[in-house]
Amino acid sequence: MTKKIVINPVTRISGFMEIQADIENNQVVDAKTAGLMFRGFEKMLNGRNPFDAVYFTQRICGICSTAHSMASTLALEDALGVVPSEQGRYLRDIIHGCEFLQNHIRHFYQYTIPDFVKLPEDYPLFKADHYDFRLPREKNDRLVKDYFDSLDLSRSAHEMLAVLGGKAPHNHGVFIGGITTQATTDKIIKIKSILHAIDKFINDRMLPDVNTIAEYYSEYFSMGRGYGNLLSFGCFNGYQDLGTLYVDPLVYTGGKTRVFNPDDITEEIDYAWYQDTQKDTKNGDKPFEADPRADMNKAQAYSWVKAPRYNNLPFETGPLARLWLSGEYRNGISTMDRTIARVLEVRKIASIMNILIDNLIPGVSVQKEYTIPETAMGKGLIDTTRGALGHWLRVNDQVISFYQIITPSAWNLSTRSNSEVKGTAEEALIGTPIRDINNPIEIGRTIRSFDPCISCATHIYTGGKHINTIQVVQ
Amino acid sequence: MSKRSITCPEYQERLNTAATLVDTVKTQIRQGAIKKKNFVWLELTGCSGNIISLLDGSNPDFKYLISQMTYFIFNNSLSASEGQNAMEQLFGVLGSDFIFAVEGAVATKNNGLYNIIGRLNGKAVTALDAVQILGAEASYVIAIGACATHGGVSAARPNPAECVGVQSVLNRKVIKLTGCPCHPDWFMGTLAHILLYGEPELDSRDRPLLFYSTLIHDRCPRRSYFDQGIFAEKLGDKTCMFKLGCRGPVTRTDCPIRQWNEYVNWPVEDDTPCIGCAQFGFPDAMEPFISYNTTRNSTREVNDDQENRD
Repeated sequence: MTKKIVINPVTRISGFMEIQADIENNQVVDAKTAGLMFRGFEKMLNGRNPFDAVYFTQRICGICSTAHSMASTLALEDALGVVPSEQGRYLRDIIHGCEFLQNHIRHFYQYTIPDFVKLPEDYPLFKADHYDFRLPREKNDRLVKDYFDSLDLSRSAHEMLAVLGGKAPHNHGVFIGGITTQATTDKIIKIKSILHAIDKFINDRMLPDVNTIAEYYSEYFSMGRGYGNLLSFGCFNGYQDLGTLYVDPLVYTGGKTRVFNPDDITEEIDYAWYQDTQKDTKNGDKPFEADPRADMNKAQAYSWVKAPRYNNLPFETGPLARLWLSGEYRNGISTMDRTIARVLEVRKIASIMNILIDNLIPGVSVQKEYTIPETAMGKGLIDTTRGALGHWLRVNDQVISFYQIITPSAWNLSTRSNSEVKGTAEEALIGTPIRDINNPIEIGRTIRSFDPCISCATHIYTGGKHINTIQVVQ
Repeated sequence: MSKRSITCPEYQERLNTAATLVDTVKTQIRQGAIKKKNFVWLELTGCSGNIISLLDGSNPDFKYLISQMTYFIFNNSLSASEGQNAMEQLFGVLGSDFIFAVEGAVATKNNGLYNIIGRLNGKAVTALDAVQILGAEASYVIAIGACATHGGVSAARPNPAECVGVQSVLNRKVIKLTGCPCHPDWFMGTLAHILLYGEPELDSRDRPLLFYSTLIHDRCPRRSYFDQGIFAEKLGDKTCMFKLGCRGPVTRTDCPIRQWNEYVNWPVEDDTPCIGCAQFGFPDAMEPFISYNTTRNSTREVNDDQENRD
């Protein structure tokens, strides 16, 4: 007999999400991930000053705002034909690195740890709804301490960001040409000292902590695999003198790694509440072609997250994809590997930031006065904390006339594609054993291993199409 | 606390306001003079940047908030429980003495169905439902950040989800902490004041005067450049940002004094104009954020006497 589980809200993610899973013989046999909030940034951007996109698009997300300032800046540089100086790139990549540290530390401790570690019961916020806590008391206590101590470290990662970027969330530093301000000796040494403390925390506490969880929850190495298709737009790569410090634009599928080609990206909308008015959508639209409208009357639609595809296939993006593609971690593809990869990536980012900081020249201004052309188009593709992020824009009459955003969480948490191929996380849930159907903790653990950012991924939501179930229905 | 060497006593007093209030809360709770209140923080249509900003706060920090100041019951980003259990916790505060904090705008299109916050007993609960139910019974409602205070970026034209600020759907006093995001001190100081003395003194638009009484322009370290007519021509310049579109002259916050993220920096010191993120009307009335060597059209400015969309 099929039982249906509905989890809503999925907490400890950014944004609003519902998961529906069909269970047979204590195993997930079908799953749907649905984004449940509408904002409509792409429509809001039409008619605005192109420069404003950098600060405006950051407001898509409060935990990964810098990601959008990076992608929009790259898109504007592409449209304006601006090539930033290497010093400009170093500076803004350091700001981007600060966000990686902030995001990953918060995601591991504040979002992931409560799934595996029993937090103090005298805080109502930490009231758990399951009993699958396995750590011996001494180890559990250590991870609880690190949950609280990590708050200082993620906070100081944002402090570093603000030293060069004015404030966080929603920085003012990243802009065309690099960043707005200059590195000075006092700023460089301040950043280096904070980075040193964070690096020590990562090595002394965070890595042992994730290893402890992996040891006691080892079956998660064989859960949550998905398709095994991995993609990165590249980041901390292609510096003139430093070469690639992390990962180049690459894709991995069928056991082979290939060079990424941006022309092979499409978005499909058959199972999302959109209608494409442009053309036949059988194979999806390319980013510059797609301009879908809300359609609330599609019977099969269940989410407002679209379905990005590469060569018509769903791909996973994020820390595990990047470590795999760069050849630094190839243990496996699973819920636990994804969780470990995020922690290993923090260490990697800290080491990259040290190299970039050591190559800074104090007192270099990288800003110019920029002019917006009458017409232009550009794209900005970069890997950010959660994975591959793309912004595509057109300028007409010196204002934005078209804006397209495809986020990492749209790749990971997409709906089915037109050919009924499930999204990456949906596929990752298939086969998951559910020990206690009244407390299906396994689903949340796998979903959170993708660090979903549904604030970024959703564009619209409408009610009336959900099957009206209670949380657990026979 | 800060690298500045300014001696004006007002500066230090302002910086100390939140910390002093919170220290007093700590003492009084320990002595049993006041009781911890139940507290819920709901994220609605927005970016969840205000809860992240809260986590960026220090003196007091988040641990202090949940352990010493309040019984922190629910937050989308931090609650250990999920699904039905999380929703039961959230609505379990009804009937108790609780403080209700909201970040994010309220989507009103299609009866609020553009933002479902969860399911309670199988039934979808909209943000609009949740705000009206919890807002009616809370002892205090605090709107945190631009989306909650007046719609913010979530209500930017053409406002596809028909977002409004929390005040628009509640017939009661809503304390408004503007900002995109809200500075953690603005929230912590306001909460501490509520716990100690009740509602802080508010201006005509329900912002605490503690934090929102002065114009950025009046405390800007670059004010002398403005007075002398020395203006920046591009981002990165060290002079007055007015002609690049700085909204300091219309924005009421203490950013120049307080600064952000452990008090290390703020947008003007980062050689960019203030974009007016803490002013009603942000973003549409504050645009363009960046324009080169252009004095703004003053008819687009929003001042405190004008009605905004709320």
